[in-house]
Amino acid sequence: MSFPHLHVASAYSTHYGVTLPEALAEQAAADGATFLAVTDRDGLYGAVKHVRACQAAGIRPGLGADLEVHDDDTLTPLGRIVVLAHGGGSDPSSAGRGYAALCRAVSSAHETTVRLNGHPPSIPRGRLAELAGLNSLTVLLGPASDVGRAVDRRDNLQARANLADWQRVMPPQSIALEIVCHLAEPGMPGSVAPATRMLALAEHTRLPAVLSNAVRYGTADEAVTADLADAARHLTPLAQLQEATSLQVNGQAWLKPAAAMRQVARMVVDAGQHSDGALARLLRDTHELAERCALDPAADIGLGRPRMPEASVIGVTRDPLAELWARARHGIDERYAEAGRPLLTAAHDRLAHEMSTVQSLGFASYFLTVAKVADIVRDMGIRIQARGSGVGSVLNYALHTSSVEPLGNGLLWERFLSPERQTLPDIDLDVESARRHDIYRKVFDTFGASRVSLMSMTNAYRGRGAVRDAGLALGMPDTQVATIAKQMWRFNARDFRAALAEKPELEELAAEVRESAQLDLLVDLTARLDRLPRHISVHPCGVILSDSSLLDRTPVQASGMGLPMSQFDKHDMDPMGLIKLDILGVRMQSAMAHAVEEHHRLTGEHIDLDRVPLDDPATYELIRSTRTLGIFQIESPGQMELVGKLQPEVFNDLTVEISLFRPGPMKNNMPLRYLEARHGEVAPDYIHPRFEPILRETNGVVIFHEQVMRLFDELTGCGLGHADVLRRHLGRPEQLDVIEAYVRENALARGFDAGTIDRVWTVLAGFGSFGFAKAHGAAFALPTYQSAWLKTHHPAAFLAGLLTHDPGMWPKDLLVAEARVLGVPVLGLDVQHSALDYRVESVGAGQGIRMPLPELNGSSDAERARIVRHQPFTSLQDFRDRVRPRRRTFEALARIGALDSFIGHDRTRRHELLAHIQSLRGTAITIADDQLAFEVPLPVLEYEGARFDAVTSLQLRGRTQSDLELLDTGLAVSDHRMRKYYPLFAELGVTPASRLANLPGGTDVLLAGVRRATNTPPMRGGRRVVFVSLDDGTGPVANVVFFHDAQERIGGGVFQTELMLVRGRTRRSGARGVSVTGEGMWDLVTVARERTRAQAKAAKAADGQAERAPISTPRPRRAAGSGTPPFDLWSTRSA
Amino acid sequence: MPQIIDAAVQVELSADGDPRAFVWDRFEHTIIGQPQAVFSRTRWWENNGTPTRIDTELWRVDAAKGDEDQHRYDLRHDADGTWVLALDWG
Repeated sequence: MSFPHLHVASAYSTHYGVTLPEALAEQAAADGATFLAVTDRDGLYGAVKHVRACQAAGIRPGLGADLEVHDDDTLTPLGRIVVLAHGGGSDPSSAGRGYAALCRAVSSAHETTVRLNGHPPSIPRGRLAELAGLNSLTVLLGPASDVGRAVDRRDNLQARANLADWQRVMPPQSIALEIVCHLAEPGMPGSVAPATRMLALAEHTRLPAVLSNAVRYGTADEAVTADLADAARHLTPLAQLQEATSLQVNGQAWLKPAAAMRQVARMVVDAGQHSDGALARLLRDTHELAERCALDPAADIGLGRPRMPEASVIGVTRDPLAELWARARHGIDERYAEAGRPLLTAAHDRLAHEMSTVQSLGFASYFLTVAKVADIVRDMGIRIQARGSGVGSVLNYALHTSSVEPLGNGLLWERFLSPERQTLPDIDLDVESARRHDIYRKVFDTFGASRVSLMSMTNAYRGRGAVRDAGLALGMPDTQVATIAKQMWRFNARDFRAALAEKPELEELAAEVRESAQLDLLVDLTARLDRLPRHISVHPCGVILSDSSLLDRTPVQASGMGLPMSQFDKHDMDPMGLIKLDILGVRMQSAMAHAVEEHHRLTGEHIDLDRVPLDDPATYELIRSTRTLGIFQIESPGQMELVGKLQPEVFNDLTVEISLFRPGPMKNNMPLRYLEARHGEVAPDYIHPRFEPILRETNGVVIFHEQVMRLFDELTGCGLGHADVLRRHLGRPEQLDVIEAYVRENALARGFDAGTIDRVWTVLAGFGSFGFAKAHGAAFALPTYQSAWLKTHHPAAFLAGLLTHDPGMWPKDLLVAEARVLGVPVLGLDVQHSALDYRVESVGAGQGIRMPLPELNGSSDAERARIVRHQPFTSLQDFRDRVRPRRRTFEALARIGALDSFIGHDRTRRHELLAHIQSLRGTAITIADDQLAFEVPLPVLEYEGARFDAVTSLQLRGRTQSDLELLDTGLAVSDHRMRKYYPLFAELGVTPASRLANLPGGTDVLLAGVRRATNTPPMRGGRRVVFVSLDDGTGPVANVVFFHDAQERIGGGVFQTELMLVRGRTRRSGARGVSVTGEGMWDLVTVARERTRAQAKAAKAADGQAERAPISTPRPRRAAGSGTPPFDLWSTRSA
Repeated sequence: MPQIIDAAVQVELSADGDPRAFVWDRFEHTIIGQPQAVFSRTRWWENNGTPTRIDTELWRVDAAKGDEDQHRYDLRHDADGTWVLALDWG
C-alpha cells in the first residue's frame, strides 16, 4: 500500500514550503511510496534537487508547478491550479514533451509580470491549453481554483459554470479535480464538506478526481515553521494573521503516509452521497495520474546530458573538433612565436595532450563557445581576463580565452580537466565591471535568447534574517528584535541556543532569554528558519549557454536587469548539463581601462596592457617599496606587510605572494616558512632530491595545488588526473587513511624510503584542502602587475581610473591623499572643466586629475548632464539659464568653489557669490541649445565695492576649503584634512607616516592621522588583533596593531575614534616592512581642543603677568630617550 | 445539551487506524460507521515553549454500549498519545 503525493511544495517555494526536497523524498520512500511529485509555487525552483533526491531515495519523481491562472482576454483571475508534467513512459517519441511544456508554462506565468507591470506571476488559460496539448500536461483544479472556491461557497451552479469554461478551453483529458481535505473544523476551508462536494462534482461531470494533501511540510511538527513562513510572506505577526483568518486552518498539510491519506479518503467519501466504489475510484485515479506523471530523469528531463550551443551559432561549419584543432594550432604558433623552439615544441606537445582529453570528453564545442564569448568581449573593446583553473590550459591560452602563459608558470591542465573529473569544466572570465551588463546583452544577441539565460542564486536564511522574521511573527517590537539581530554573527542560527550557553558576549541576552518565555520561543523559531531558502536573485556572474532546447529544460523569469534568469541555481547546472560561464565584473579592470582611455585621450598613445613586458624593474621597485595602495590584490595593510617582507622581483613572486595571503596558508604559518627559506635564513627543505623540481619555486614549502598533484604523481605514478582526485580527497578526514595506504604502497615500490614517505605524508596530510591553485594565483598576479605598472608609469591616469571605479578597499579620500603624495595634483570641482568621471588634465608639464561632477552630494543626474552638455559657460547667468540648477546644488557648487571661474578665481568673493545666488528670485530663463545666452552684465560684478567686501556668508565662515569639500563631497581635494593639525603634530613630535620606514625597530613613536581602515584578521593563536591604518597625509598609511592588552586598556576607542593620536613602538618586519604596536590612544580632536584652551589661558595669564607661563596641557608622554628627531615635514609642507 | 466528561479512556484502533471502540467506565463502547476527525489550530505563540503540533485532534464518533442507544461523543487525542473522552452529545 502506498500513496503518491501529487501536490507538494518544497522549501524552494519560498515563504511557503518549509521542507527541503531531500527530506521529502527520503520520507516518502521510507513510507513505501514509489512516486513523489514536487510542485513548487510559481516555479520549478526545487525541481532538480527533487529529481536527484528521488534518484537517491530510489523513487520516481514527478514535477509540476502551483500556478495562478487568468483569463486571456478579461484578465480575470481564475485562482491557483497545479500543472503536472506527463512523462514519456514507454513512448520514446513523447519523452521530454511534458517537462518541456511545464517549463514553458512556468516561463509564461512569469512573462505576465513583465507584460502587466507588477502583476504577480500568472499564466493565461489559453496559453496553458496550448501547452497542455499532445497529452503533455494535467491540470489539477483544486480548492484554490475558481471551481474550488465556488464549491467552498456552496455555489454549485457557479462551480459547474467555471468548470465548463475550463473544459471548453482545455484539451480533452487534461483536467482532473483535486480533492484536498485537511480535516478542518466544519464550516472552515479544508474541512470535509467542500472536499466531498468537489468529489460529487467530479462524479457529475465524469472527470477524474485525485486525492492530494496540498503538502507544505514533511512532518506535522514543521507546521510551526509554515506558520512563520506565512507571517514572513504577509509581513504580519501571527496574531494579526489569525484575526484575518489568513493562517493555515490547522497543521495537517504534511506529507502524510499512505494509511493516513486513505483515512482522509474514507472520511471524504463517507461525508457525502457518492456512488458505489467512489473510494476505490478516487485512489485508483490518483495512482493512475501519478503513473502518467512519473518522469524519467534522463529521457524526460535530460539529466546528465551536457548540451552546448550548436556549431552554427559559434560560427563553425565543420566538425567542432577539427575546428578546435585548427584554431588551437594556429594560436600556439602565434602565441609562442617569439618563445623559441623548445617552448614552442613543448606547447604543441601539451596541446596534443589536452586535446586528447577534450576529444574523449566531447567538450570541443565547449572550448569554442567560451572562446567565442571571449572574442565577443574583446571585440567590444572591453578588458577581459580568464581566472580559475582554466588558466592552466595551453588550449585556452592559444584560443585567447586566457592571457596567462601556462607552461612557463608551471600550471597544470589536470587541475582544470581530466577524464577522472566527473563535472563540467568551469572557466571564469573577469571583465570590466562597468560593462558587464552590456556584455550580457551582447551575448544574448549573439547566441539568441533561446540559448542563453542568466543563472539565479538561492538566498537562504542566516542568523539575522531568521531572528528578524521570527521576531516579526511573534509581533515583537522592531527595536528589540534589531538589538538581538545585531548580536547574531559568528554562529549559525540553528546553534542559537548552544551559542547562548557558550559565548560570554551573549551572556546578557542569555539572561533575558531565561526570564522571558517569548524570547525563549524566539530562540527556537530562529533556529527553525536557519538555512531555509528565502528568495532567489540573479547570480552576480553566472551566464548559462546552451542549445536551442534551453527553454524546454529550464523555466526562466525576468531578472532585476530585465534579462531572463533561469530558476535553477549553480548546484543545478552540472546535473542538468547546463554550461555555466562566470562573467564577473571586476572594478579593477574598469579602472585600468579608464586609465588607458584617459592616457589615449590626452596623448594619443595606445597602451596595450596585455602586451606590457612582465619584467619592468621600476614596477617591481614600486611594489617592493610597499606603496601598493590601489594595486590589485596587494593593497591591504596585511598585503603591504607581506610584500615588504617578500620583496618580489619577478612575476612568479607575485603569484606566490597572492597565494600565500590566504586564510589556509596564513593559519598554517606558510608565509613565515617560505620567507625564511627565501631570505636564506634556513636552507630549503625539499625532503627528497626527486621533489626538488616540484618544490624549488617555493623554496620547499608546499603552497600550490599543482605541487600537491605533482608530489602525488611522483610518489605513486598515478598520473596528474588521478592526483587531482587525491588532492581533493585530502580535505576529507575520513579519506586520509585510504590515501595514506595507497601512497605508502606505491611510493615504496617507486624507490622512496619509509622516512621520506613519513615526512612527505605529514606535509600532504597537513595541507588538507588548503592552499591555492597556482592557476588562480597567476591569473590574479597579472592584473596585480598591470595595475602596478600603470601606477608606476601613468599615476595620474591610473588614479583617475581608481577614483572613477573605486575598486579597492580604501576610501576615496585616501586615494586623493595618495595622489597628492605621488605629486599628482587633484583639481577641484569646476563647472567649466569637471566631467562625469575623473579626467586627467595637463597641469604645467605634468598631469593632474579633475574631480568629476557626481562627487557633489545631492546633485541630480539631469543637472550634471546639462552641465556637461553646455560647458564651457560664458557667465554665471549663462550657467544658470542653461543648467537650471536647484538652489541646493547651486549653493553647494558655489561653496566648494566650482563656480570660482565666475569670480575671477578669487576665493574671498565666494561670500558675495553665495549672497547673490541666495538673492536670486524667480525661475531661470530656459535657453534653447542653439541660442546664445542673454548678454546681460554679470550681476556679481555689481556687488563690487567696499560695502560688499563686508558680506560674510555663514555657510563659509570659520571653515577651511578642506572643511567645505569634505562637507559637500566627502573628499578633501585642495589639501589633506590633517593639515590643520600639523602645527600640533610638530609641537608634540609626531612621527610622519612617511618616515616610519627609516626608523629602527623598537623605537617609541607618536603617530596621528585619520582612520582609513580597521581590520581584525584571523590570527594564529585565536586572540583578536586589531589593525588600524592611519593616514596623516605624508605618505602611505601607517599601520598600527593593537594587541589584546592594548585593546583592553583603550576600550571602544579602538573601533570608534576617527581621528587618532597613538603612542606605540615600531616593529620591523623584513627589509621594508614596518608597523607600529599601539600602546596608548587619544582622540585627536579632544587633544587639539584642550591644547587650544590651555594656550589661550596661558596667553591670558601672560598678558596679566607679562611673563610666560608654562603650558600645562595634558600631553601624551614622550617616551624617554626615544631619540626621535624633530621632523620639519610638518612645517615645510605648507599649502 | 452536551455533557462534559473529560476522562481518559482506552481506545482501540482498527487496522485502518480509525478508532473502533473505547473503554469508558469499564464498559466497551463500539464505534459505529466512519468516525470523523477534526483538527483545530491553537494560538501556540501565546503558550510557553515551541509546540510539536499547532492543532488539537478531536474525533467525533457515534458509539454504543452493548445494546443501548448510540450516543455521539467527542474523543480528544492529545499530543502525548493519550485519549480523552471530552464530551457526550447525547
